[in-house]
Amino acid sequence: MAGPTIDHIMSATIFIAALLIFISLFSYNLQTAILYQRNRQVAMKANDLIDGILLNPGYPTNWGQSNVTPTSFGLQNHDVGGYVLSPFSLMRLRSSSGQPVYYPKTGKWYSNVTMGTGGYLLVPLGSVVNYTDALKLLGINGSYGFQLTITPILSVSITELRANPLRLQIAVNGPGSPLGNAFLKYNLVYANPGEGQYPSFKIYSGSARTDAAGVAILDFPTIDGSQYAYAMIANAYLGGLSGVGYSEHISAINRHVIPFVQSFEEGIILLAHSYDVHYFGPPVPALHYNATFLVLSADFEFHTVQLGNGTVTGKVNYGEGYPYGQVQIPTSDPGILVVTYRYGNNYGISLLPWGIGSLGVSLTFGDSPAGKDWVSTDVRQVVVAEMSYQARIAVWSLEGFQLWRPVWSW
Amino acid sequence: MMRTVEIIMVIIILATAFIVATFFAILPSPRQISSPNLRELSLTTLQVLDAKSELSEIVFKSTSDASWGDLETALSAALPPNVVYNLTVYDVLKGVDDVVRYNLVKTLSNSQSGVGASSESASLLVASSDVTFSVAPQKIPRTLYILNCSDANGWWITGYTAQNLAADLYDMLSPYFTTTIMVQSTSQLGSLLNGTKISGSPDESITNAIVLNTFGEAVPIPSSYVNTNSSNSYAAYTYELGKRTRWNNWTWVSIVGWPLYYVSNTARFSSDHNGWGIYGMVMVSSPGLTAFLRGLDGQSYSAGSSQTGSPGVVYFTSKARYYSNYYGVYPSQYQTSTRALSSSILSTYHLTIDNTYGYVFQQVGEWIAGATYNHRDPYPNGLIRGSLTAIGLTRIPDIRITVLALLMYYHPTLYRSEFTTSGTSRLVVLQLGLQGGG
Repeated sequence: MAGPTIDHIMSATIFIAALLIFISLFSYNLQTAILYQRNRQVAMKANDLIDGILLNPGYPTNWGQSNVTPTSFGLQNHDVGGYVLSPFSLMRLRSSSGQPVYYPKTGKWYSNVTMGTGGYLLVPLGSVVNYTDALKLLGINGSYGFQLTITPILSVSITELRANPLRLQIAVNGPGSPLGNAFLKYNLVYANPGEGQYPSFKIYSGSARTDAAGVAILDFPTIDGSQYAYAMIANAYLGGLSGVGYSEHISAINRHVIPFVQSFEEGIILLAHSYDVHYFGPPVPALHYNATFLVLSADFEFHTVQLGNGTVTGKVNYGEGYPYGQVQIPTSDPGILVVTYRYGNNYGISLLPWGIGSLGVSLTFGDSPAGKDWVSTDVRQVVVAEMSYQARIAVWSLEGFQLWRPVWSW
Repeated sequence: MMRTVEIIMVIIILATAFIVATFFAILPSPRQISSPNLRELSLTTLQVLDAKSELSEIVFKSTSDASWGDLETALSAALPPNVVYNLTVYDVLKGVDDVVRYNLVKTLSNSQSGVGASSESASLLVASSDVTFSVAPQKIPRTLYILNCSDANGWWITGYTAQNLAADLYDMLSPYFTTTIMVQSTSQLGSLLNGTKISGSPDESITNAIVLNTFGEAVPIPSSYVNTNSSNSYAAYTYELGKRTRWNNWTWVSIVGWPLYYVSNTARFSSDHNGWGIYGMVMVSSPGLTAFLRGLDGQSYSAGSSQTGSPGVVYFTSKARYYSNYYGVYPSQYQTSTRALSSSILSTYHLTIDNTYGYVFQQVGEWIAGATYNHRDPYPNGLIRGSLTAIGLTRIPDIRITVLALLMYYHPTLYRSEFTTSGTSRLVVLQLGLQGGG
């Protein structure tokens, strides 16, 4: 009697154990398949989103050049179409890479697109499209998160090899390799003493070609780079690719003119004393400035555009009772606002790109993908203000899912 | 013991089922899910390389030309380091049997072992820049009147006569309009102003027409209007022009300088000159424009002075540059303006300028160097009733700017022929793969 009972108990135990093992094994396989499907869905969403953003101008189609909030989100340049992006719409995105800047004299916070020394792109937070707005306009609020990165394909870096006479090295690189034999068109803005206390500037233009290593050396025998200030803006072209880079040397240390975008629609730029933004401690020198707007023409030459409804020269100081300067620039075309300034015999240059692309600015928009479960990325080559850019999107699901895995699985 | 053996058999069956199920349930590799969309990357790379038609230029060059090396460098630089490519260019040939054939021209690749089975490709058909394809413009359904009056003289058209400007404008603009009519005399202009058609064309329509004044700062005046001048000037005539522009919903076009500054009729003003030695012409001065605008706006006649400004060098708007390329009209993108109209006239005379198609030059401060102004009736519905295209540049006029202003404003579509002419098109195929991809 005991034998059959033990047999039943043993068999039942083995059967239940085996059943549990196989259920978990089948379940693991099924869940892995479901996970693949979910990841596939995120990858397809990334593909849809990047095309939806890049191939749609948004509404109104010129929202980048106005102060209105778009009712449909897209970055395409409506005038051109295809994967050509509006440099102005990009400018109206809240950058997630730089810390916002507070300017007490307007009482506003400004989105800060991180740039190199002397380059500023500060746009009022109240006028930019933020990430939450974009999620809602794209219809993915609560279901997906994304980060969009717009970076120039070509990196044009400028290094000062010698100050007097000035010798500069320009290196052009792509993500894959250096750009040998690239055609360079450069413009050196040289600030120097002008009439009275206001600085003047002169533009030295020229062209060159990079060697096989993507490097070109430029000599300026008449310029002492250690004196006054200069900003070098170099455009590189080869085989259809184009890029731009800039660098500057200033002698005005810790005292700068910082341009803030006040109105996209009217092109109003405020010129602030840096002491109002970043306090470096006394003393407090006033800055005399001279502002001009440069537009790059089809023949790669800079042309100055007369500024309207604002002072071209002026003085800014910090503290109460000293208002900021103000200039109005034409809004229809991308360009660069160049502000040369001085105090005593110290000179500086501030550059504001009007439109992403003018100075090869990179932009990061959206949330960070760090720490997300599974992130899908997709990439497109695009054109911004006639410069070659790469648009990369990272997308992840916010709905969340968990895998139950057997304890013995890895 | 028998039960245990049975259970072991059941376990064996279940294990077999699991193994078989696992064998047949093939899941895609993670790379297939998360890899970038190579097809789109390939297409956008080709489009970026051709953004300034550089790719189109290179692929038509000799296969030994150094620019192929530039293209190879650009491709290597543009693509991520883990992406391998194979770019193939085919010549598109059309045989006598109308069958299209693709002949291999050249291949560029950065991989000796191919781009892998999971590669993706995209293609772009490019056309040679040396080939002119036939273009058929969409017709603007309006009548274009070009003032070509033989009995009037022009001013600020130095070096030209109004008649040869009219002939050139006819050549440039007539393909875009359903009807183009030369107004050969001031009496014909008088007929037009009185609402009488001047040609036998069934398509002629005075309403909604465009009247292009080729006489610069002067405007021909019919004899019948010479007698109707007010006591102080011929601004009364330009006032009538404004009224007719409004009634007929015309677009009045001034090609250069200060619009309507003089009136000209060589027969009636044979002994008068404009103050600068040009006979057959009388100066109206600045009230000419004011009177026109007042007539356009339906205001009572007044000969108050008008104002223009000198913003200096002015630049095309981005839209003007676009249409300059689109229509193949290439005046210099920057010009000197000394007779720009003030933006204050917009509110005074209920004028608007279309932000997209109206501005030829970027506005400088209050000065508008070249634009099409639409008069909008404040009552009852704000519809356009009459327009003025004024190019306030300095002399000598470049009539291509007037052509561009009109084409921009009406932006007729150009229908281009297909790119299938033998030997004029090349197919560029870019195949991308991931390094280590299967």
